[in-house]
Amino acid sequence: MGKDKLGMLVGVLGLLVVVIPAVAHHAFVAQYDPSKSTTLRGVVTKVEWTNPHARFYVDVKDTSGKVTNWNLELASPNALRRLGWTRDILKVGDEVSIFVAPAKDGTKMANARTVTLSDGRKMVAGIAAEQGGAQ
Amino acid sequence: MRRDLACSMLTALSLAIFLVLSVTSAFAQGQPEPAGVNPAGGGVPMRSLERLKAKSAGPAPRTADGKPDLSGLWGPEPKFMGDISNALKPGEKLPLQPWAIKLTRKRLSKDDPNASCLPSGIPRQSPFPFKIIQTPKLILFLIEGNVHTYRQIFLDGSGHPKDLDPTWFGDSRGTWQGDTLVVDTVGFNDKFWFDGIGHPHTEKLHVIERYRRPDSGHLDYEVTIDDPGAYARPFTMYGQSPLLQNTEIMEYFCIENNQDVAHILGKGTPAKE
Repeated sequence: MGKDKLGMLVGVLGLLVVVIPAVAHHAFVAQYDPSKSTTLRGVVTKVEWTNPHARFYVDVKDTSGKVTNWNLELASPNALRRLGWTRDILKVGDEVSIFVAPAKDGTKMANARTVTLSDGRKMVAGIAAEQGGAQ
Repeated sequence: MRRDLACSMLTALSLAIFLVLSVTSAFAQGQPEPAGVNPAGGGVPMRSLERLKAKSAGPAPRTADGKPDLSGLWGPEPKFMGDISNALKPGEKLPLQPWAIKLTRKRLSKDDPNASCLPSGIPRQSPFPFKIIQTPKLILFLIEGNVHTYRQIFLDGSGHPKDLDPTWFGDSRGTWQGDTLVVDTVGFNDKFWFDGIGHPHTEKLHVIERYRRPDSGHLDYEVTIDDPGAYARPFTMYGQSPLLQNTEIMEYFCIENNQDVAHILGKGTPAKE
C-alpha cells in the first residue's frame, strides 16, 4: 500500500468517525456550541432513559477538587436503541469520559457526542453541529 | 531496496489494520458508523435508520382490490425537515409573500412548536419512521415523532365536512388516480411551522399529496402547497421514503422529559430568503 493509498484509507476512516447529526426536535446549533467541544471525565450519578432525549448526569471534579454535576443529553431512546445502545449501558457509579458540545447559555448542560465507557467502548451518542439542524 | 519497500508496505498495512480494528472496536456494540451519512440532515436518528433500509425487491405489492399497497414502515425524508425549500425542484424558491418572509426571519428556534413537543403538521417530517396501514376505505399513518401521533385519510368518497375546526393535521380525503393515491387536506390551524426555519402558513392552507410506490422498497411523493394567505402561488415539493425492515414504530412521547426550550437561543438555521 503506497502512501497515497494509506492517506486515502486514513481519510476515509476519519470520515467514518466524524458525525454530523442534528437533534430530534430542536435546533442543535441554537442550544449547543460545538466549537467549544471538550472532554469531561467523571462518575455517572443518574440516568434518564426518556424522550425527547435520554440524559445522564456526571460528577466532574476540576483541578481544585471542586465537583460539578453535568447534565448530558443523548439522542432519543428510539434512535439510541436502533444504534445498538441499551438502557443499561450507562450505570450509576460508572466512570466515563464524554466528548461534549456545551450549552450556549453557560449552564452545566451539554450534548454528549461520544461516550467512552468504563470498559473502554466508545459510543456515538448525541449530536455534532449541522446546518439545517432543526428537527 | 526491495526489502525496504516490503518493510514499508508491511508497516503501512499494519497501521491500516490497526486503524480498522480501532474504529471497528470503537463502534462495537452493534452500531457501526454508516459511511453514507446523509448530508441533508436528520442527525443521529437518521443515521440510526441507515442500516435498516430494506433492499428493493421487485414491483410494489398490490392489495386484493388491485391498488398498489402502500402499507409498510417508511423512513423519513430529510428534505422535509430543516428547510422545505430543499424539497423544491433545483433552482426554485418558495414564493413567500413579504409578510411571510419577515415572519420567517423573526422566528426563533425556541418558539418552534416542535421544540415544545407540539405536532409537525403537514408537510414537515421528523427523523423517525412512519407506518402506513392501507384498507380500501381508510388509510392510516402512524407517526413515531414528532409528535407520536396518527393521520386518518378517508377513501369512502365523502368530501370534507363543512365548518371544520382548524387542527394540526386538518381533514384528509383520498382518491386513487391510477396507481397514485391523491390526498386532499384542508382545515388546518396556523400554529405549526413547515420546517425548522419557521416557514409559515395560514388557515387558508390546502395541501394535495400524491403518493406512489414505484417499487417495493420506495414511496415517492409530491406535496403541493396552496396557501394564498402566505404564498404568492401554489408550489410543489418532492420526496422519497425508503422501506425499513428489522425495526418497528417505537414510542416517542417528547413531553416526557423536555428540558430544552429554556436553553435554546437564537435561530438554528438562517433563512435563505
